Amino acid sequence: MKRYRKPIQYIILAFVVLIGGYAIGQSFFKKSTVLKAGEAAPEFTLADLSGQTHRLDDYKGKPLVLNFWGTFCPPCRDEMPDLQRIYEKWQGQGLQVVGINLSEDRISVRSFAKSYGVNFPILLDKNRKIERLYGLKEYPTTFFIRPDGTIQEIAVGGPMSESFIEQRVERLFQP
Amino acid sequence: MNDWLNFSSNAFIAAFFLYCAAFIGYAIAVAGKRWSNRDPEGHAKRWGRIGFALAALGWLAHLAFFFTRWKGGGHIPTSNMYEFMTFLGMAIMFAFIIVYLIYRKVLLGAFAVPLVIIIIAYASVFPSEVQPLIPALNSIWLKIHVTTAALGEAFFAVGFAAALVHLIRVVDYSRTDKAGRRAQFWTEFMLVVIVVVIGFLVSVFGFRAAGYEAQFRQETFRIDLQGQGETIVQTVEYGLPPIVAPYNSEKLSMDPFLGLKEPLFEAPSWMNGVNAGRKLNTIIWSLISGLILYGIMRLIARKPLAAVIHPHLDGIDPDDLDEISYRAIAIGFPVFTLGALIFAMIWAQIAWSRFWGWDPKEVWALITWLFYSAYLHLRLSRGWQGTRSAWLAVVGFIIVLFTLIGVNLVIAGLHSYAGV
Amino acid sequence: MFQNTKCECGHQNPTGTVLCEACGNPLVDDLPPDSPLEMRYDGAARRSQKQNPDLIDRVWNFFSSVKVAVWLIVITLIGAALGTIYPQESSFVNLDDPAQYYKDTYGTWGMIYHFLGLSRTYESWWFIGLLVMIGTSLVICSLDRVLPLYKALSKQQVRKHLNFLRRQQTVYETTLQTEPAEWVEKFARELKRKRYRVWIDRKDGMALLAEKNRFSRWGPYINHIGLIVFLLAVLARAVPAWHMDKYVSLDEGQIKQIPDTPYYVKNEKFTVEFYSDDELPERLKGTLRPKLYETKATLYTCTADCDDPVKDPVLVPVKQHNIQVNSPLSYKGLKLYQYNYEERIRLISVKPMLVDKTNNRSYGPFELPMTDPPLTYKAGPYTLKLSDVYPDFGLDEQNRPMTKSRDPNNPAFVFVVTGPGLAAGGEMYIYFPMPSAENKKLQDQLNESFRKLGSNSGRFAFEVNGMENVSFSQYTSTLNVRVDRAMPYIWVGAAISMIGLVMGFYWQHRRIWLRIDGRALTLGAHTNKNTYGIRAEVAAALGRTGIAVEPKALDNRRNKR
Repeated sequence: MKRYRKPIQYIILAFVVLIGGYAIGQSFFKKSTVLKAGEAAPEFTLADLSGQTHRLDDYKGKPLVLNFWGTFCPPCRDEMPDLQRIYEKWQGQGLQVVGINLSEDRISVRSFAKSYGVNFPILLDKNRKIERLYGLKEYPTTFFIRPDGTIQEIAVGGPMSESFIEQRVERLFQP
Repeated sequence: MNDWLNFSSNAFIAAFFLYCAAFIGYAIAVAGKRWSNRDPEGHAKRWGRIGFALAALGWLAHLAFFFTRWKGGGHIPTSNMYEFMTFLGMAIMFAFIIVYLIYRKVLLGAFAVPLVIIIIAYASVFPSEVQPLIPALNSIWLKIHVTTAALGEAFFAVGFAAALVHLIRVVDYSRTDKAGRRAQFWTEFMLVVIVVVIGFLVSVFGFRAAGYEAQFRQETFRIDLQGQGETIVQTVEYGLPPIVAPYNSEKLSMDPFLGLKEPLFEAPSWMNGVNAGRKLNTIIWSLISGLILYGIMRLIARKPLAAVIHPHLDGIDPDDLDEISYRAIAIGFPVFTLGALIFAMIWAQIAWSRFWGWDPKEVWALITWLFYSAYLHLRLSRGWQGTRSAWLAVVGFIIVLFTLIGVNLVIAGLHSYAGV
Repeated sequence: MFQNTKCECGHQNPTGTVLCEACGNPLVDDLPPDSPLEMRYDGAARRSQKQNPDLIDRVWNFFSSVKVAVWLIVITLIGAALGTIYPQESSFVNLDDPAQYYKDTYGTWGMIYHFLGLSRTYESWWFIGLLVMIGTSLVICSLDRVLPLYKALSKQQVRKHLNFLRRQQTVYETTLQTEPAEWVEKFARELKRKRYRVWIDRKDGMALLAEKNRFSRWGPYINHIGLIVFLLAVLARAVPAWHMDKYVSLDEGQIKQIPDTPYYVKNEKFTVEFYSDDELPERLKGTLRPKLYETKATLYTCTADCDDPVKDPVLVPVKQHNIQVNSPLSYKGLKLYQYNYEERIRLISVKPMLVDKTNNRSYGPFELPMTDPPLTYKAGPYTLKLSDVYPDFGLDEQNRPMTKSRDPNNPAFVFVVTGPGLAAGGEMYIYFPMPSAENKKLQDQLNESFRKLGSNSGRFAFEVNGMENVSFSQYTSTLNVRVDRAMPYIWVGAAISMIGLVMGFYWQHRRIWLRIDGRALTLGAHTNKNTYGIRAEVAAALGRTGIAVEPKALDNRRNKR
């Protein structure tokens, strides 16, 4: 028994340090689900209004403006024409603009898109799944995503002005 | 009110008076030993038996109260403060009977029975009608939890009674050194606390019998979590003449009392809610009437109360008291663990979806448990016996009472988030 | 303190031994020579006591001390009490700015309280640190004591030193009047009747050891094992996959996915009942005292197309339960509790008729669900095509129709009606299924403005005949969804702990030693709890062998005074 005393002491104390360290460490790090600039944008697969599926991966290699919006949110409605204009202006240089609707009815989204003349892809979230994945707190929220898939900037709230969007888009094109 | 409940409240009154009679019997047993022409041993034995018989009868009446109320009310009567405190009194009687049957010490009854009387008198301060259960309380686990926890606490109460006798027994009035004076002071202090509790009961029942009433209205403005302001109007009824009015309140009505027509002052602003003012007023009244009561006793006795009781206790061995106190706590500890922690966790898991939520009541149950485990460790492993152990048993029971009553009155009350 | 460890009986004891392992003669003795002996752990050396401690030994010794353990308990107790002064942050469902809240609500003291971190006492590093230290202390204290105690109790010597016997708490000495060997036999029989195990010294039969309920000595250690299991289980709840705590709000008839799981839950019906006045006592009459909250819930699991963005998931019902406050729905470790409810009327579906105002004929009814309504409907010879949906109808700054939120608080539907006698493009009508005067007015106004724009001729209207054609939800029920995979271990830990407590507190380890030198009988008895009981037992056994003695007279402490 005496021979094992030291090893047993070491093993028990090692366990204490490990388990105790984990427990105390937990109390320091509060889990945060909020995305920050610099992190990779989470992957998603969603359908657009015509039933075609889109994945975030499809947009890799090109700068992307990802806009979460809803017809019920006035600033979202207000910034929609500006987004459309930016899309038209920068499309040729490879800019992608994607709107993700906040889990509304397909009919309302379609009629809204038609009446606002939006022609960039509008994807339909279901049950607020992607919205939660991106940790949205306010509407609208726009993610400016670099070609490599990392987030350059998150614009929370709105409406964003055309020049505000343009400045950020320009930055996306800077190497 | 149905017949069962009628019978039940009569049984309660019978139990109360039988307990009082039992106390008188015990008091004669303890105090009358030196009466002339008596064999002290025989006297104590005879009156002790009478006291115990009366107490046991009282307990049977108490049981009758409990079961008829159960039958008449449709659910086990442990779901509000009145029912819980009467149940606790009944459990203390049960614990006392068990401990008495083990040790056969008459003197214990002289302290345990008045404790029961005080507790059931305190219960009667609360509204006594049967209230139908709200959904959260409608659980078999809650019933098991409350009854088992109360039983554990009852053994702690008996441990407290024995510890108190022990302290009065060993306090030495011939000592004039610092430690001796400290022991004298704190032993007397415990008795003063008990007299203040009695003062509280006397003032509440006195003014209730006289039909005293005063009313206040308080308006508070607060901003809720959504950022919207709202004005809350609350009214409160005082059963005791208001020495203190709730903070920032207006008087609606007030019976005059001994020329007191207006409250003397107002509760400080940090005491939120109208009930905080009422509770502060009650505490002030308890202190006043308790201290008057104590003053009268001191005037009659012309010496400290502990010194009055002390000489009557010399027939009992302090080591036996130490053993009884410890044994009662040792019996109660596993019961308390099971009832107040484990069953509580099971109930919380079923009703509130988490077995532990750091709610003040839960935390205080844990504090009680931690305290008694410290007591046991100090006693078993560090050799704390006798006076030190007795003081721990006294403090432990104060923590028990705080958990049962204080948490509801003070913590919930001052912050008034529980709306009690 | 650790000097000579060799006893006068010749036994070599380990360092730190208090009472000789063989004969029980005191080796280390700071007590006065006639006081009762220190019998803890039978005087065996604690494992950790050694002469030249290194750092590890020092850490070990720190946690091995009961004094330290008691301090840890007391500090934890005080810390826990501090946490109850003001409500904890965790008791609020959403508190965006706790610092501000504590300052506003509780003033300066609230500010200090929050600043010190006491508003999150039970999650704080120091409180968890204390619990970890208590856990460590439990392991090390127990290990250091249980092994030597086990060894000491499993090899007990029958003949003990006179010093050992005379300094027990229960002691009796006398000169035997009868034949000693015979008396010992008789006494042994009496003790066996009381369920003692008895050993008599094989050499001459002049010494005896009787013992019962040794198992109760293991009670505290079993209790400590239970507590350790419990604490580890609590810790395991921090593992993300083992723990989930989410809320799902459901209107009646609504089905929703439980976030991050393949499960969906449907609220078939929510019931709230209040006590009637005749069920209430005088003081509570006229108050709303709830009697029952119940959500009739069905749990579904998704079997296919779960994450498919185009197709709807295929759901299979797996469990039906009426969730009440004390009765959660439970399925494979997932538990759904009744958490809250709100009275909020919402339509589920309506069956309106299309009314032709020119000839007062009505067509239909057709079923119009509020969520995911189909695109086209048939009403008699007419076809209705849904062209717009506003779940929560409102008007924007330019007076254009919009929806104020995603929630179906006041839905409005825009239909294009086509059919016989109508223009090819059809006629456009708006319909508000929620019956209210305001909606009626709005509907008429909007349809009138459509007419002015030439979108309709004002020929049609919608009408619902009777409440049987309306299904609606009165209450929104909030369920708390929990996964707690550590719970079984928590209960196991609690159960082990209870077993240990009962063993340790409701049985007492009792031992009686005696030796006869010539005709002089010396008896000593020891118990870890309830000396009263062992005195009574010894006195009774002695009485049956013809030695009448009062239990009280056996009390060593009393005799010394």
